[in-house]
Amino acid sequence: MLELRPILSALWRHKISALLIAVQLGLTLAIVGNATVVIQERIERIARPTGVAVTDIVTAQFMPIAKNYDRLEAFRLDLDMIRQLPGVAAATVSRAPLTGGGSGTGLYTAPNQEIGATGGAQFWGDEHLIDALGMKLVAGRAFTPNDITEASFSSGWRPNMAIVTQQLADKLFANGEALGQSIYFSGEDNPIEIVGIVERNLGPWPNSHNAGSTVFFPAVMDTQWFDYVVRAEPGQREAVAKLLEEKLAERDPQRVVAVNLLEDKLDRYYAGDNTMIQVLSGVVSMLTFIVALGIVGLTVFWITQRQKQIGVRRALGASRSAISRYFLLENLMIATTGIVLGTAAAQIFNRFLASEFEQPALPLSTTAICALILFGISLAAALVPALRAANISPAMATRSV
Amino acid sequence: MIGYYFSLAMRSLRGTPILSALMVAAIAVGVGASMTVLTLNYMMSQNALSHKDEVLFAVQLDSWDPNASYRGDSNLTRMPWELTYRDAQALLRSDTPSRQVAMHRWGATVTVDDSEMRPFIGQTRVTTRDFFALFDVDFLHGGTWEKNADSNPAQQVVITRKTNEKLFGGENSVGETINMDGHPFTVIGVIENWNPVPKVHDLNNGAFDDSEAFYIPFGLHRKLEIFSWGNTNSWKHEEDLEGFEGFLQSESVWIQYWVELHTDEQKQRFENFLTSYIQEQKAQGRFERPLKFGLTQPSEWLVVNEVLRDDNRVLGWLSLAFLLVCVVNAVALLLAKFLRKAPEAGVRRALGASRNAIFTQHLIESVCIGILGGLMGILLSMFGLSAVKSLAMGFADRIAQMDWLMMLSAVGLAVVASLLAGLYPAWRISRTSPSIYLKTQ
Repeated sequence: MLELRPILSALWRHKISALLIAVQLGLTLAIVGNATVVIQERIERIARPTGVAVTDIVTAQFMPIAKNYDRLEAFRLDLDMIRQLPGVAAATVSRAPLTGGGSGTGLYTAPNQEIGATGGAQFWGDEHLIDALGMKLVAGRAFTPNDITEASFSSGWRPNMAIVTQQLADKLFANGEALGQSIYFSGEDNPIEIVGIVERNLGPWPNSHNAGSTVFFPAVMDTQWFDYVVRAEPGQREAVAKLLEEKLAERDPQRVVAVNLLEDKLDRYYAGDNTMIQVLSGVVSMLTFIVALGIVGLTVFWITQRQKQIGVRRALGASRSAISRYFLLENLMIATTGIVLGTAAAQIFNRFLASEFEQPALPLSTTAICALILFGISLAAALVPALRAANISPAMATRSV
Repeated sequence: MIGYYFSLAMRSLRGTPILSALMVAAIAVGVGASMTVLTLNYMMSQNALSHKDEVLFAVQLDSWDPNASYRGDSNLTRMPWELTYRDAQALLRSDTPSRQVAMHRWGATVTVDDSEMRPFIGQTRVTTRDFFALFDVDFLHGGTWEKNADSNPAQQVVITRKTNEKLFGGENSVGETINMDGHPFTVIGVIENWNPVPKVHDLNNGAFDDSEAFYIPFGLHRKLEIFSWGNTNSWKHEEDLEGFEGFLQSESVWIQYWVELHTDEQKQRFENFLTSYIQEQKAQGRFERPLKFGLTQPSEWLVVNEVLRDDNRVLGWLSLAFLLVCVVNAVALLLAKFLRKAPEAGVRRALGASRNAIFTQHLIESVCIGILGGLMGILLSMFGLSAVKSLAMGFADRIAQMDWLMMLSAVGLAVVASLLAGLYPAWRISRTSPSIYLKTQ
C-alpha cells in the first residue's frame, strides 16, 4: 500500500525545497549525460586499433653536427648496426606514425586529374617497413630489396609501386579490387601500381578526418624528417631504447640523437583527449557527490522537522518500515520529477553543444542509463536518514518540542 | 551594524557546523571546478600583442588550389595561413608598411668551439630584421642585422638572454661565434627573454610552445638550403621545378608574414599594393582563385586560428552549469538552515527588527559562506590546474597557472554565487510572521 496522497500534500507544503532538489537532479542529469557521451567518444577514439605494434616500437632520430653530412650513408651503417642488436625484431628508416607529424598527398585513379583527389598520409620505407611497424599484410606482397630506391627529397623522384591500407584501397576503388590497379599523383601520368594492401595504419594524425587512409612508397628518402622505426621483441623495448641511444652515439658521436618509445609519443598525441576524459570524469563524480550531499542534508533536515509527526504516526501503529518507506517514496517522487526535467534539459544542452561545438549527439539510451544511476544515488542518499527516522520512538509524540 | 551581522553570521555558522561545512564545500567545489576551466580559457585567450593590436596585421594571400579546399573539407574560401616564398619576397619589396616580417620556424644543432657543452638542437626562427622592433622585443646587447642580410646570406645570429646564459655564462657575447649545423654564425645581439603565451606571432606550430632561442636572417635560405620546421603545405604538382630552388619557386606555403601599418591611409595603400600584386600574378597564371587577401589584427588572429578550441569552450559551459548546480544546492541547504533558525528571527522581529534588517542579516550570512567557499575554491582550482598540467603532458605548462586577477575572480564568483543562493532563503525568512514563533516559545 503506497501512501501517495499524504506524501504529496506534505511535499506541497515544502514545494520549494522539493523543487530545488529536483532541479539539482535534473541539471546534474543534463551535465552527466552530456559529459558521458563526450567521454565515451574520446575513450573509443583512443582505444581504436592503430594497425601498428605501438607497444613494441622504439623510434630514433639524429641531427648531424657537421655540415654536408652524408645522411644516406649514415642510414645504411646505422640500420646494419641496429639490426644486429639483441632484442631487435625489425628496423627500417621511415617516419614514426601516430605522432602528429608527417606528410600527406592527394591520389587519383586515372592519369592527369586535378579535381577530386582522395587524400592520404604518405610514408617511405624499405623492404622491412611492414615488419618493422608490425602491420598485417592482407593482400599482395611486401616490398622486396629490388623495389627500394635511395632518393633525395627534392629530386622529383616518383615511385612506381605502393602499398596502401585497406581503408584507402576501399576509398580509391569502391569495387574492392585495388590490388594491381594504378594510382596517380595530381596532374601526372606516372602510374603507381598497388602491390600490397595492409590491414590498417592510422597514419601521422589519428584524430584527422581521414586518419587510416595511408600509402607507403618503396624508398629510403634523404630528408631530415625521418625516424628509425625499430620493433623490439615483446617486453624488450626499454632495453632496446637504451641500447639504441648508446650505440647510435657510439657509431658516430658527431650528432644529436633522440630516442623515444612510440607509445609515449602516442600518449602525448592523445594528451588533449585524455585531459578531457579525466576532467569530465572529475566533474561528473564531484557533481554526483555534491548532489548526494544535498539530498542527505535536506532529508535529515525534514526528518528533524517532522520528528513529532513521526512519533505520532508510530504511536498510532505505523511500523518502522512504513516510516522509512514514507521518506524513500518521497525521495522517489522528487527524483522522478528531477529526472523528467533532466532528460529534457540534457537534450536541450546537447543540441546546443552539438550545433556550436560539433559534439556527439546524446542517445536516449545513455540518458536512460545515467538517469538510472542518479536514481540509485538519490535513493541511497535518502536511505540512511530514512532508516534513522524509523528509530524515532513513539514517545516523541508525547513530548513537546 | 554590518559588523554585528558578520559576528552573528559567524556564530550561526559555528552553530550548525555540518550544514555550514556542506554549503561551504558545495560553493568551494563549484568555484574550484569552474575557476580551473575558466583560468585555462582565460590564459589561452591572452593577447601578448594587445598594445599593438591596432597597428599589426597578419598577412594572408589566397594562392591556394582553385579546385580544393585548404583543409581538405568543402570550404573553398579558406585562405592558407602562410605565404609562398616568392610571394613573401615580392611583399618584402614594398616600402609601404612601417615594418614587415617574413619568418618561419627552423632548428639546427648548436655547438660552440672549445666548449664542454653537449651539442643540442636549437629552436630557431628565420626572420627579417624588423622582427624585434615589430614585436617590441628589447635588446640587452647589440642589435639586429642590416637590411642587406634579409636578401643576402649573412651568418649572424641573435640569441635570447637565457641562451646567452647557457652558452656564454651571461657575458656580453656580441662578436662570439656559434656553430649551427656546422656553419659558423656570429652573435650580433642578445634579446630579453620573450615568450608570449599563446605564441600569437606563430600559431601554426603549437600555440603554447616556447618561443625560439635563436634568430637568424632571412637571406640564408639558398645558402643553407633551409626547409621550414613549421607547416609546409603544397597543392600543385610542378614538374619543371627541381631541387631546393624549385622548392623556393613552388606554390608551397610556409612563410608567416606580419606588417605594421599606422594609419588608415597607409593600410589603404598596402591593400592597393596587394591587389595590384595579385592581379599581376593572375596575369601570369597564378592566383587562380577569386582575388582575396587577409589583413588580420592579433586579437582577431587568435580567434580565427582557434587557439581556444571547442573542447575548452565545452568545458567552460559545463563548468558553469556545474556551478549552477552547486548554487541550487546551496539554496536548498540555506533554506533549511534559515528555516531552522526561524524562531530566532521571530524573536528579533518581535523586538523591533525590520524585515529589511532580517533580510540583510541573512544575506550577509550567505556572503560569509561565499567568501569561505571562494578561498577554498582557490585551493581547489590550484589543485585542479596542477592535475591538468600533469595530464596535458607539457602542453599546458604555461597556461595552467592562476594570477591575482583570477584569484580575485574566484572569490568574486563565490560571493556572487552565494548572494544568488542566499536571496530567496533570506527573503523567505524575512517574511515569517513573529507571532507563530512567539506562541510556541
